Amino acid sequence: MPIERYIFLAIALFCIGIAGVLIRRNAIIVFMCIELMLNAVNLLLVAFSKMHHLKATAANATAGIEGQLFVFFIMVVAAAEVSVGLAIIVMMYRNVHSVDINFLNRLKH
Amino acid sequence: MSNEQLLALLPFMVLAGASIVVILMIAARLSHTAIQVAGFLMLCFTVLAMGYVRDILPQEILPLFIIDGFAALYTGVIIFSVGVVGLLSYIYFEEREENPKEYYILLFLATLGAAVLTISRHFVSLFLGLEILSVSLYALIAYLRNRNNAIESGLKYLILAALTSAFLLLGMALFYMETGSMEFNAIGQKLAGSDPGVLFKLGLALMVVAIGFKLALVPFHLWAADVYQGAPAPVTAFIATASKVGVFAVLMRFSLAVNLQQSEFLLNVFSGIAIASMILGNILALRQQNIKRLLAYSSIAHLGYLIVAFLPGTREGIEASVFYLFAYAITILSAFGIVTILSTRMKDAEDLSVYRGLFWRKPLLAAVLAVSLFSLAGIPLTAGFFAKFIVLLTGANYNLWLPVIVLVLTSVIGLYYYLRIISTLFASAPAAEPRHKPLHPFFHFVTYATLFVLMVMICVLGVFPGPAIEGIRQFLMIR
Repeated sequence: MPIERYIFLAIALFCIGIAGVLIRRNAIIVFMCIELMLNAVNLLLVAFSKMHHLKATAANATAGIEGQLFVFFIMVVAAAEVSVGLAIIVMMYRNVHSVDINFLNRLKH
Repeated sequence: MSNEQLLALLPFMVLAGASIVVILMIAARLSHTAIQVAGFLMLCFTVLAMGYVRDILPQEILPLFIIDGFAALYTGVIIFSVGVVGLLSYIYFEEREENPKEYYILLFLATLGAAVLTISRHFVSLFLGLEILSVSLYALIAYLRNRNNAIESGLKYLILAALTSAFLLLGMALFYMETGSMEFNAIGQKLAGSDPGVLFKLGLALMVVAIGFKLALVPFHLWAADVYQGAPAPVTAFIATASKVGVFAVLMRFSLAVNLQQSEFLLNVFSGIAIASMILGNILALRQQNIKRLLAYSSIAHLGYLIVAFLPGTREGIEASVFYLFAYAITILSAFGIVTILSTRMKDAEDLSVYRGLFWRKPLLAAVLAVSLFSLAGIPLTAGFFAKFIVLLTGANYNLWLPVIVLVLTSVIGLYYYLRIISTLFASAPAAEPRHKPLHPFFHFVTYATLFVLMVMICVLGVFPGPAIEGIRQFLMIR
């Protein structure tokens, strides 16, 4: 498959993620949309990694390996982010009995 | 990995060890005081280790890290800031939380993230450093979990920071598509002769968004005031100093590697961001009655000034930026130190009315706050004045006239709101509140002493900046 199709798919997923973050009001769903964006990037990185690997010559047989390695780090970081994020959302629920981000408007002047 | 490379990483290993030491001390049920002292000692060890390995620098640890004088300087500023933040935290958290101990784990982890940023020369280490910093910051901001404000600002920072890291990652992926590499230098070499495509430019724009968010530059500054206001005062001081120093260091290293400043268009983008930050930051601060929000807007303006030193992309620019960041860190730490000390159990001292007539009640604190505000405003004989002066000088040497003129004009606007606070300090005092005995006399003494030392440092750097500049120059020679 040509690389353009992967790029279109990944950018489409990324934009769905952005739209979700902007439109949805539920903190947990906003979080899921951010995960979607991160996974779109993962897909893109793997596709580029393969692309660079196919172009590789005998001299640098490991070309394009960095992209796939990076994906593992992104997965780990995303998991850490979610665990801390859910903890904060739970605390928010305890205080205001809702996870609606419209309640986040008390900090003013 | 050779022995020397391993040795060069020693300061960062000590820093990583600090959070493990704190975890073990918590498991052994040691007191808050013991943890505080041990944490401070670990920071001292980090500085000593940095001095110990100085002779074998620079070391490249392929492909992720490079430890040179540049990294040592920025790490030094970060460690200094965290040391002060740690000292200020004791009283603040001892009064508020039943369990203030885990705070130090998060603080040291965040420090490690910021320090990793200063030595990274690869997208993977950049991303990991940034995320170690951010994830610890989410928890630090929301640490006082019974306060609505803290939770709110924590969640706001969490959502926005996670969103911008996704932007940063997409930008990195597009860079990777174009160049097939994630190393800064290799990217620079690949880009040197080629004319990059439209997707690459999109990636660059996304990375500018992410870095602008982390540095709270206009137009990505909207989180700053809310997070500064909601976070505990010592954490706010950390965000204002250590996290920004780390991100600025990596921005500088990356732009030097890819010759970002050579491109006319990008130079215009960055000077536009700098000008917008200086103007908007100062104007938004004018009408603030909340001192934490006021300092947030003032920090937006100050980062704008700093970008003026970033624009030339030369040795003088780096020198000016390091000096500026050091002076700014001392100044903002002493200002937030006062906010920390004056905070009561229920509420942070953020309303301007708390400071009315402070001079007649607590002259030392008022003097420290006044000096730090003078330094923020850039009054001569303070560190802030000289920092601004060398930034101006660098800008003028490289014919960056528009940003330089805006810098001077907006400094005048800034003077208005800083002087307004100072006049509040000396206003007639309200009825004296009943004195209560401080809980921890030793740590109160330590905190006061720290603030006094910071005040003296502001003045000394303002009067005799020569030795500091010379030291910075010598460190920058190690490359």
